Amino acid sequence: MIASPKLRSLLSEGILEIILVLFCIFLSFSAPGFLTAGNLLNVLRNVSMQGVIAFGMTMVIISGEIDLSVGSAVAFAGCLTAFITQTLAGDTFGLPLHVAIPIAICATLTVGFFVGTFTGIMRTKFQVPSFITTLALMTGLSGAAELITNGFPLTPFPSWYNFIGGGYLFGIPFPALIFLLVFATLQFLMNYTSFGRSVYAVGGNAEAARLSGIDVNRVKRLVLGTTALLAALSGIMQSSEIMSGTATTAKGWELDIIAAVIIGGTSLMGGVGRIWGTMIGVVFLGVIMNGMTLLNVSEYWQHVVRGALILVAVLLNLLQKGKSQR
Amino acid sequence: MDSAVHRLETVSLRKEYPGTLALDDVSVSFTGGKIHALIGKNGAGKSTLVKLLAGAIQPTRGSILVNGEEVRLRSPRDALRRGIITVHQELSLVPELSVAENVLLGRLPRKPWLGVSIIDWRTVFDRAKDILTNLGIDIDVRLKAGRLGVAQQQVVEIAKAMSYNPSVLILDEPTSALAQHETERLFELLRTLAARGVVLLYITHRLQELQRIADTVTVLRNGSLVGVVDIAEASTARIVQMMFGEILQRTKPAGLVAREEPFMEVRKLSKRNAFRNIHFTVRRGEILGIAGLLGSGRTELLRALFGADPPDEGEILIEGTAVRPSSPMEMKRLGVALTPENRKEQGLVLPLSTRLNVCLSSLDRITTGGFLTRARERAVVEKSIRDLDIAVANAEAPVASLSGGNQQKVVVGKWLNIEPRLVLFDEPTRGIDLQAKQQMFQIIWDMSARGIGSIVVSSELEELLDVCHRILIMRQGEIVGEVRPSDISLDQLFAACMEEQA
Repeated sequence: MIASPKLRSLLSEGILEIILVLFCIFLSFSAPGFLTAGNLLNVLRNVSMQGVIAFGMTMVIISGEIDLSVGSAVAFAGCLTAFITQTLAGDTFGLPLHVAIPIAICATLTVGFFVGTFTGIMRTKFQVPSFITTLALMTGLSGAAELITNGFPLTPFPSWYNFIGGGYLFGIPFPALIFLLVFATLQFLMNYTSFGRSVYAVGGNAEAARLSGIDVNRVKRLVLGTTALLAALSGIMQSSEIMSGTATTAKGWELDIIAAVIIGGTSLMGGVGRIWGTMIGVVFLGVIMNGMTLLNVSEYWQHVVRGALILVAVLLNLLQKGKSQR
Repeated sequence: MDSAVHRLETVSLRKEYPGTLALDDVSVSFTGGKIHALIGKNGAGKSTLVKLLAGAIQPTRGSILVNGEEVRLRSPRDALRRGIITVHQELSLVPELSVAENVLLGRLPRKPWLGVSIIDWRTVFDRAKDILTNLGIDIDVRLKAGRLGVAQQQVVEIAKAMSYNPSVLILDEPTSALAQHETERLFELLRTLAARGVVLLYITHRLQELQRIADTVTVLRNGSLVGVVDIAEASTARIVQMMFGEILQRTKPAGLVAREEPFMEVRKLSKRNAFRNIHFTVRRGEILGIAGLLGSGRTELLRALFGADPPDEGEILIEGTAVRPSSPMEMKRLGVALTPENRKEQGLVLPLSTRLNVCLSSLDRITTGGFLTRARERAVVEKSIRDLDIAVANAEAPVASLSGGNQQKVVVGKWLNIEPRLVLFDEPTRGIDLQAKQQMFQIIWDMSARGIGSIVVSSELEELLDVCHRILIMRQGEIVGEVRPSDISLDQLFAACMEEQA
């Protein structure tokens, strides 16, 4: 059907990018206000909190693991930050907020990292699949968030705290900047470090990686730890945006995030995937939500379209793979 | 039961794969009532022939005839319909179902009950019992198949196959997991079957069985039919000669001798259910062969030396210092490398590119503080491709797209990049073509000249004779002898590996 092999390879390599661009062109004609700087930055800001986790999730899935606990981890991290802030700024310690909040943030990120490392240790020491451990953590962390907040939002934050999740720097939403920074970091990590190489090797064939003298267990622990750390970061951003620690936020995020990763071409079988692909997947989902809202399409339809997109993207990926193997 | 004498023929049967000729115009005829052994080394074409007969793959050209009638086998189902049944080495019984259900799987007798069709259990058990009794087999048909021993499962599998009334029954290494007395019982069963006119094709690598079970021996080598001989007129030496062919004298370079200093000393190394009391020394630049059959513990020994499966007891010294081979990481640090037996599953990360695979073991050498230097990486990859003469069009393409020989070179290259001191080769020439084999030997010799030692495990005994300075003979987990290639002939070495086996 297609004449030039060059065009064909472009089409099969970048098919998702092309569909995204076509979709944006369509929206810029049909949806008033889509193609404005303000709206596009808004899209970035809307996807940023799930997006930072999606990059970590990409590593996890490439390494052959999965993390179902990230949604609960976001809620838990927000609540923990609020709780620590409240405690440190309360009567017992009496620290000023500009001291209490940085401590709370650092503590939350650390806890996040160790939660992920825990999943990694369960996986490598006791052979508990990460699917199981993180399923347990999904429930457990959600409960823990309810416990430390007693079921009510905690609101110890001063107005300047809103900057992290709601502020602007050089006219760009600050959470969008964090999102881009995380993207750049993980893009570099996965492509230009021996660690990134090891992640692909471990996911592609753990036994061959081990017999190549790669510390498979360490790679798995670090990957899961990093992703849980990013979930904690996302939770902090979220708590800043809504200015509270609320146990009921971010429900179901894990599935949205995994969907974005899969749309971006990462294989659930491990060993195959790109951080850039996830960027496309995340933005694609954001643009669909945004565009359909602008077009006044009901939210119910948005869910149907997202579902269809996941299937189509995976099918495209499989077809492309089948072709390249022939 | 049908007692006509069946016949199976192939006419110029040929199977080509891209870059390899797996079966080269094989024309052979097998008559019923006899047991025909099919033998050959790994890669000789045995399994290709079996797969063609079982309908699992289609021939490039040529035909298969059953009782004089040409049959086209497009699928295993076709083969079944034409009366060709294969019992594979891996048993396929459902362990949680009874023996009777396994025998009649997919065709359980039914009866009407209250207007619906239900399984008629009484008939299931009766019919299965009849089938077994008819073959002189005494096994309780109500037992779960999983509770039977391997030998009995094998027997049930054969009974199941026979219940289809086949013209041709193919047995793929049926005795590989059996003990001596179980083998005898199986042979009795096979003789019963042969007496009914069925064509029995028996694939084995145990030469000592041939005299006891086979009527004729069909030998394949490099995809071609070498010959068919009656067992009465075939000595073991003759069969070995047919399997291995005229031995080409590929002598290692003159003057290639091991250095004096020992590199690795192994003392009283043991691992449960794998090997016992292993004792040897390998010197710098020495090429040490380990000859032994599948299951002799040779692979387990190499994996233990590399820290992949640490040994239970014993001592390993590297340059006089005791080390504990606790992990591949640790042994890599000491300059020990392993190219595993199964390169696709253990040696390579197939979805990744040649470039990434070549650098897999030496990531710390192309990085500075964990960060990759593309230029240094490119240099390493290009050097490997050039030095090992890896035929790769695009180093970015998945390594899965390379031929077997080139994949093996990638595995070797991966390890040469760490500048190893001792490389453990497990079946380095399995599934690679003649030219690639030659290149592999050259690589091993070149390493030796640079003081890098090798331990080579191979089923290809004639290759060990060509390549090594010294050969250890391993049998049932123990080292039973040591020889120099110049002091022993191929059939003597073969006999030494087989002795007292089974």
